[in-house]
Amino acid sequence: MDSAEVEFLAEKSPITIVPNFAQEKLYLISGDVGPFNPGLPVEVPLWLGINLRQRGKCRIVPPDWMDPEKLTEKKDEESQSKNFTKMPCEHYLVVAQLVLTAATEDIPNSQQIKTLIKDIWDLRVAKLRSSVAEFIQSEGTRAKLDHLTLLEINSVRPFLPHSLDHLYRFSKTAFNSNLSQSQTQDYS
Amino acid sequence: MLADKVLELIRELERSKDGQMSTFNEDAIRLVLEEMNTLFEQNQQDVNATVAGDVRFFSGVHLRHAALERNKRCLLAYLYNRLERIREMRWEFGSILPGYIRATMCEPEIQWFNKYNKTLATYMRSLGEGNGLDLTQDIKPPKNLYIEVRCLQDYGEFEIEEGDTVVLQKNTTHYLLMAHCQHLIRQGILEHVE
Amino acid sequence: MADTEDIIEGSDDEGEPMKASEVLQKLEEAWITERMSPTLEKHHSEYVDCMLDQINQMSENLKRCKKHDFRVAIHKMEIDRIRYMISSYLRLRLEKIEKFTHYLLEKERTISDENLAILSENELEYAKGYASSIESHFQTMVLQHVPENLRNFDPGKMGVKPNLDSFVFLKVKESTPAVLIEDDSGEGRDEEVDLDEGSQHLIRYRPISHLLNSEAVTLI
Repeated sequence: MDSAEVEFLAEKSPITIVPNFAQEKLYLISGDVGPFNPGLPVEVPLWLGINLRQRGKCRIVPPDWMDPEKLTEKKDEESQSKNFTKMPCEHYLVVAQLVLTAATEDIPNSQQIKTLIKDIWDLRVAKLRSSVAEFIQSEGTRAKLDHLTLLEINSVRPFLPHSLDHLYRFSKTAFNSNLSQSQTQDYS
Repeated sequence: MLADKVLELIRELERSKDGQMSTFNEDAIRLVLEEMNTLFEQNQQDVNATVAGDVRFFSGVHLRHAALERNKRCLLAYLYNRLERIREMRWEFGSILPGYIRATMCEPEIQWFNKYNKTLATYMRSLGEGNGLDLTQDIKPPKNLYIEVRCLQDYGEFEIEEGDTVVLQKNTTHYLLMAHCQHLIRQGILEHVE
Repeated sequence: MADTEDIIEGSDDEGEPMKASEVLQKLEEAWITERMSPTLEKHHSEYVDCMLDQINQMSENLKRCKKHDFRVAIHKMEIDRIRYMISSYLRLRLEKIEKFTHYLLEKERTISDENLAILSENELEYAKGYASSIESHFQTMVLQHVPENLRNFDPGKMGVKPNLDSFVFLKVKESTPAVLIEDDSGEGRDEEVDLDEGSQHLIRYRPISHLLNSEAVTLI
């Protein structure tokens, strides 16, 4: 999956906006949104929120987790845990990038938030790398990957699944050639 | 050397891996086909001798047959890989290929291209219960990209989407859809504020 | 936009009407699964047709709206998103059909349950047309010029087959206990795995492919 596709999927995430216009409910195919009233928060898909923001028709309310204190807690939790912790948003990195690019002024402490999210990402990807190495060395045949987000999974693609494909092919070939050798012996 | 000529064709594919097409190598194909017929005739003779009881030629027959199989396989691989590239061109350039690309193709390849065109068009027309859908469009996820622009000169009223207008006055800045204002950027009326 | 605002005719397996938003969700899952699967998955033209119908109707309705209507741009953006997803999904499928043509046509012949058909009717036509165009090109250019005993063409021997032992990432939608993961590499490490709802796994495609058909898991 390329980054544009991941972004496309992340753009479906809900985001709260405060519109500066009035508009009745919209019957979108993906579900109803609105009604919109000036000053009243309303939840919309991110692609719509960003578009309205770019057109100056709303301001974006940062999601709960986009907060220095909460992110610092998350970062500590992540660094202390051996496993991957559950992220508050399946697309945290992409959502943060999109929101912070389109609406920096709407997000208090945006610089700090950027740094914290980058730190969490780095922690998780480092963890992922070391568990991949461990996994391959242990000659594992499958792995459980709870709480890994799509972008993180994408970061080991296609390298990890391809390596495993090759390892599997090697052991299968080795097995089959042993088999045919022993069969030859049987017949002789 | 035995079955050497056909390797040239495979090397040719390898060399043009960056998506470019080399000219269809009719001469090489003819030479390979000639070699195949020669090998076949020689084998016929030796097979007759083998059948008559002379087993000295038996290994030679096997060797030539292996060479024949290899030649055939490589020829088909050459054809197939070119078709794959021609197929990609359909998606890249549309149903009419630029002349410089057609010039690299042989007549049967052009016919294949036309047939592919037709098969694809029939399929795309059949989608959505006959309403059709052009799959060669929408290659990338849609991005309604707004950019910040500054007016470099007075332009006056400019219609943006859904009938809204903005007044483009010198030194004012606006958020506009990139697709809508690109021509004004090119004309030097707006500049993209990074 | 009265026509499209509530419930649509399309129905799922139980015969209950599904909402447009639910169909869209299903289509998205089918799209991502197709994107990640080493082979061609069963077709979902019912979702495709339903969503194409939705965006066509919506486009018609928009023509009747005033040009200045604020809503038009928003609906158009959504239509673009859905059309992209459908196109990308069908393109992915065509690519696989072209790559594994013979394998898929053979496999299709062994499937008797219509609900598990891999190729839609249109795709089947496409696959046949594609296969015959390639073969006749081979005939014209090479096969009819080679010695007689070499003129046959065996696509089963030369065609490309998908690697069903590829590793894939999956997410479990419905808990499925004791899934047998056979180890064909002969190391005798067959094992059973409980797939709990919501969990994610990196696993070989072959042992779990049947769970994609029953939609108990999706690829990610």
